[in-house]
Amino acid sequence: MKAEHLEFLGELRAYLDALDPDLVAATRAEHIADAMQPRVNGRRFLARLGADGWLGVSWPAEYGGQGRGPVEQWLFAEELCDRRLPNGLLTLNAIGPTLMAVGTDEQKAEFLPRIIAGELEFAIGYSEPDAGSDLAALRTRARPDGDAYVIDGQKIWTTGATVATHLWLAARTGEQADRHRGISMFILPMDAPGIEITPILTQGGEQTNTVFLDNVRVPAGARIGAENEGWRVLTTALNYERMFYHNEPRWELRQLRDWAASAGLLDDPVVAETMGELAVDVEICRLFAQRGAQMLADGQVPYAEASANKVWWSELRQRICDTGLDLIGEAGTVAGPTGPAHGHLEHGLRSSPVWRFGGGTNEIQLDIIAQRGLGMPR
Amino acid sequence: MTADALLAQAVRGWLADFVDNTYLNAQEASADGYESTRWDQLRDLGWHAVTIPDHLGGGDATLAEACVVAREIGRAAYASPLLATMRATVVASGGAGYFDALVARIAAGAPATLVAPPDRTVTATPVAGGFRLAGEPVVVEWAEVATEVVLLVPAGGDWVVGVLGRDALDGRVSAVPSVDNERIARVALHGAVVREAVTVPASAARLALAGANLLRASLMVGGCADVLERTARYATERVQFGRPIGGFQAVRHHLARMVIATDAARLMVDDALERLAEPAVAEVASFTAARSYVELVLTSAQVHGAVGTTTEHVLHHHFRRAKAMRSRTGTRALRLRELHDALVVHGEASQW
Ligand SMILES: Cc1cc2nc3c(=O)[nH]c(=O)nc-3n(C[C@H](O)[C@H](O)[C@H](O)COP(=O)(O)OP(=O)(O)OC[C@H]3O[C@@H](n4cnc5c(N)ncnc54)[C@H](O)[C@@H]3O)c2cc1C
Repeated sequence: MKAEHLEFLGELRAYLDALDPDLVAATRAEHIADAMQPRVNGRRFLARLGADGWLGVSWPAEYGGQGRGPVEQWLFAEELCDRRLPNGLLTLNAIGPTLMAVGTDEQKAEFLPRIIAGELEFAIGYSEPDAGSDLAALRTRARPDGDAYVIDGQKIWTTGATVATHLWLAARTGEQADRHRGISMFILPMDAPGIEITPILTQGGEQTNTVFLDNVRVPAGARIGAENEGWRVLTTALNYERMFYHNEPRWELRQLRDWAASAGLLDDPVVAETMGELAVDVEICRLFAQRGAQMLADGQVPYAEASANKVWWSELRQRICDTGLDLIGEAGTVAGPTGPAHGHLEHGLRSSPVWRFGGGTNEIQLDIIAQRGLGMPR
Repeated sequence: MTADALLAQAVRGWLADFVDNTYLNAQEASADGYESTRWDQLRDLGWHAVTIPDHLGGGDATLAEACVVAREIGRAAYASPLLATMRATVVASGGAGYFDALVARIAAGAPATLVAPPDRTVTATPVAGGFRLAGEPVVVEWAEVATEVVLLVPAGGDWVVGVLGRDALDGRVSAVPSVDNERIARVALHGAVVREAVTVPASAARLALAGANLLRASLMVGGCADVLERTARYATERVQFGRPIGGFQAVRHHLARMVIATDAARLMVDDALERLAEPAVAEVASFTAARSYVELVLTSAQVHGAVGTTTEHVLHHHFRRAKAMRSRTGTRALRLRELHDALVVHGEASQW
């Protein structure tokens, strides 16, 4: 890492260290229970960061940001993740930058200042029951009606919908057969009449939701980008999403280390060999992420590189929890805070499948690496 | 149909009548973790006492038949004191008739459990009128429900099979949340004295443990089979990009690996049941079944995608049961060292 990046990290750490410890503790507890949606304390925490000018590290100064680059943005996300604190997720890191790229002046004025202040939270409405990996099969329909759209359909796995202020929605404006050429993007206020949310609980404790849209009316100005050209908007947002590198593997390995230390097993040969390799892989994780951030900083877009990072990171998380529990043995059957490693590894294992298929399944990432990275035929 | 197949069909039919994910969720959330009325039915059907001799009120059948029952229970991901009871029975039956009264009570329907810490973290030393236990607290399945608690721990060169009376356990049992839908408690045995106990040679203890562990291995084989079937079915139903996901090579390869892992576990357990005099085979089977079950659930979760992660899908029970059952076999590295010692150093289990 360059000196300027380490200096930035030092500044960030000093700032975070000085935050109100009660706010930090409450936010962390909430985040550990369910990292996918900032709730009461997470919202307070993000608003604090926003007020102190620490959201939008890489946002340009004209939008109120610090005007730094993707590497700093990555470090910011990593550091918060390492502390198990929310980092603004997609709202700040994907939707904000996408709006800068494709939004109208009105849209930018409406949303960007409030995003960077930590006031807004977007839920992502891509997936549908029949449109998972095959997102271009989505069926939620937006019908033009005068200078408005009327939206009907069903989204699923819309995480954060119950705490979000807005829904970032992909809907069909063209023909079904047009697939990705008939999609438009919209921003809906979450409290728009006709939106109904049903919660879904996952085995990892994360809450996600089904969102039903019944005759939801939005002004034409709620459309982001041109009609039927939403796929480009969506892939722009997904590209920013690729910047999402988290430090969970490092954090989880630390939980395992703390368990081994408390059990007096740090020099046990099996523990040492297992954790030694996991520690190596955590370092590799950092390099894959850093490479992606550096490519963005150099004006390139990481494709195969982002996929490699995602595969590595998601499999490593699962492996740390899985092999960690194998080291712990029988006591590892105890769940929750009274269990070994305070239950974090067991919880981590329950949460781990999501990351192997969420954000583009690993099977598809491997295809991307082979095709885009190596030029293999499709 | 063979007798085993008929038994399997009967147990599966009984379970199919009431067990589904909604039921499992409700039981997991309930105070007791299982319905005692279902336990009474199990008792009336005799499936809790398959291996208990006729004169003690049991089914007078083989361990293989008990394993058929365990496999079906594992398939259904059904939680109850059944496995713990069957394991305790196998160990108590190894006491050369000394524990007949206890075994008869189990046959009559008393739920039991087994304290046999896999990593040998509890030991016994002879004292006046019994054995005193020493060691770290252990995790015991269904310890709060079991009225009969059987113990198998090393004592010097020999082992002790004993019965822990409820009075000896008083104040030593505290329920803790389990990773899976079974019920567990932490039991602090340090200083407790076991009065009803016999010593058995290490070889007998090893055989008894092998039998008890084969029951759990069978349960895991059942779990593998159910996960595999569900996943294969889902891969033919779930359509993305205009075709069933089972048409994608990546998914097919996942499924094929699941088949291989399931077969490995089942063949090994079957082999062990035919070679009961060779505990090393059962030890291999126990390891293999646990490894396969965990591999199966992780891969199945990947094939199912988001649908498989919700608590509305039975996969979440298998997922947690696989890891919990594996953990109940103890520290993985210690099992591998024992296997290395048995298979590689001493050439056990080899047929060549
Ligand atoms: C906790 C959680 C939170 C989520 N949050 C959100 C959210 O906020 N917003 C949102 O829109 N979505 C969200 N999702 C959904 C997530 O994006 C999808 O799960 C993901 O896109 C995969 O889709 P799927 O689950 O339908 O799996 P499927 O696409 O059905 O895939 C099933 C299996 O088939 C394989 N497969 C599919 N196509 C191919 C292919 N072409 N080649 C090889 N293999 C293939 C996959 O790799 C996978 O193994 C969330 C999911 C979860 C579980």
